[in-house]
Amino acid sequence: MGLREYARTPVLLALLLFLPAYFVGVFVYVLPTSSVPIYVPGSGRLTVQTVEIYGALLVPLMGALIGGIAGLFVMLSATDADARLSIAGVGPVSLLAARFTLVAVAGLIAVGVSLAVLATTFVPEALVPFVLASVVVGVTYGLLGTLAGLVVSRLAGVYLMLIAPMLDVFFFQNPMIEDAHWLATYLPGNFPTEIAVDAAFSGSVEWGPFGPALGWLAVAGGLAAVAYYRALGA
Amino acid sequence: MSEVASSAPGASASRARRLRTGIAAQIRAFVRTPVNVVLLIALPLVVVEGYGIAMDAFPQLPFVQAGRLAEMGRVNGAIYSVAFFAGVLGLFQVISARQADERLRICGYSRGELFASRLITVMLGTLVITGAALSVLAWRTPPEAPIVAFGALALAALVYGLIGMLVGAVLPRALEGSLVMVFLVDFDDFLSSGMLNLDSPILTLFPLHFPHKLFRSAVFEGSIALDNAAAGVTYVLVAGVVALSVYVRLTGNGGDLA
Repeated sequence: MGLREYARTPVLLALLLFLPAYFVGVFVYVLPTSSVPIYVPGSGRLTVQTVEIYGALLVPLMGALIGGIAGLFVMLSATDADARLSIAGVGPVSLLAARFTLVAVAGLIAVGVSLAVLATTFVPEALVPFVLASVVVGVTYGLLGTLAGLVVSRLAGVYLMLIAPMLDVFFFQNPMIEDAHWLATYLPGNFPTEIAVDAAFSGSVEWGPFGPALGWLAVAGGLAAVAYYRALGA
Repeated sequence: MSEVASSAPGASASRARRLRTGIAAQIRAFVRTPVNVVLLIALPLVVVEGYGIAMDAFPQLPFVQAGRLAEMGRVNGAIYSVAFFAGVLGLFQVISARQADERLRICGYSRGELFASRLITVMLGTLVITGAALSVLAWRTPPEAPIVAFGALALAALVYGLIGMLVGAVLPRALEGSLVMVFLVDFDDFLSSGMLNLDSPILTLFPLHFPHKLFRSAVFEGSIALDNAAAGVTYVLVAGVVALSVYVRLTGNGGDLA
């Protein structure tokens, strides 16, 4: 049902494809050819090309940005209709699963398109964990977006879902920083970005951080589910 | 009917009253959601300080003056917060008012009056958040030329307020419009920030390029970069003309471009 709604809005589909491609494509085009030192978990200090590190950060960032905004608006538009569907007999679990799937699909498209564009310049060393980590952070922010859509106004939600992923993934988790700010460890993007950077620049990836990354996902999903059920009940 | 009305005595007073009514209604709609008012204060605080804290942890970048990373972060946070706020405000102003504006057209409001009332509301919001952002910035990084800095911030906000109105007129759906605004502002702000050593002619095409330079020179040097100011004002005028043209064509036409 929700996927048909996406299909019925070709402009949205076009934007989901074009925007990450535009962002990543122009970014890697204008970045200077220079190298920077970064700190890769498990590999220590490495010197990489500027376009490689920014490109590697942009993929999870696109997932988080688009997932977050999609989650926000999916919930904003769905709660009234879903309340009626719930009365009509559709199970809340089915409704919730449908909405969360929409969010996950948006994040997946963003990650896929971003990675495809980035691959013209740079291909991560370990592709599978890189993609998984990027999707996890996209879905996590998508779920936080759904929570924002249920708790705050539309305007506040848009600001939250823009600023939070940017500050988290692009700034606080940036591997150019040797001693990360204490706050970085507690942010949703910490573990997925750590995995993504590790996967981008080293052939062997530590899978341990996936545990806390999925934990964050579960917490975000749980909170969003509780808020959703309360919204349906109201 | 509009030509008769415009030549009748008191027509200008009537027009002014309609504008005031439209603006007052939109302000009331905005402040009826208290979190929107809180955002005007909280958003600059979070973004300016958040950027400052984040950039402070970065290693020294070769093209940024030593010891200035945190300040550069706050400066960029200030522009980012005002541009994005104004852009999304302009977007939602137009999207949420689309059907109302159609009905107001039937009631006698001219398309110019409707656009003006939306634009003035965006400008008022722009002024408030610009003041808030500059106040937050001044707490830790006092600008050398505060009035010029205020003008530069307001320029950045205004150009994106108009772009938001344009996007809202062309893409009258909140999700699509928000996605476009998120990517436009993010991309523009980061490339114009001066935190990357970029040298590409396409950078001058981005709306925040000149306001960024104007703002940085006002904050750090106390100077007025007149060429940047002129370019920034040109962007505002172009954005205004395009936004007005698109808005006028869409309003009273069932929302479709003829």
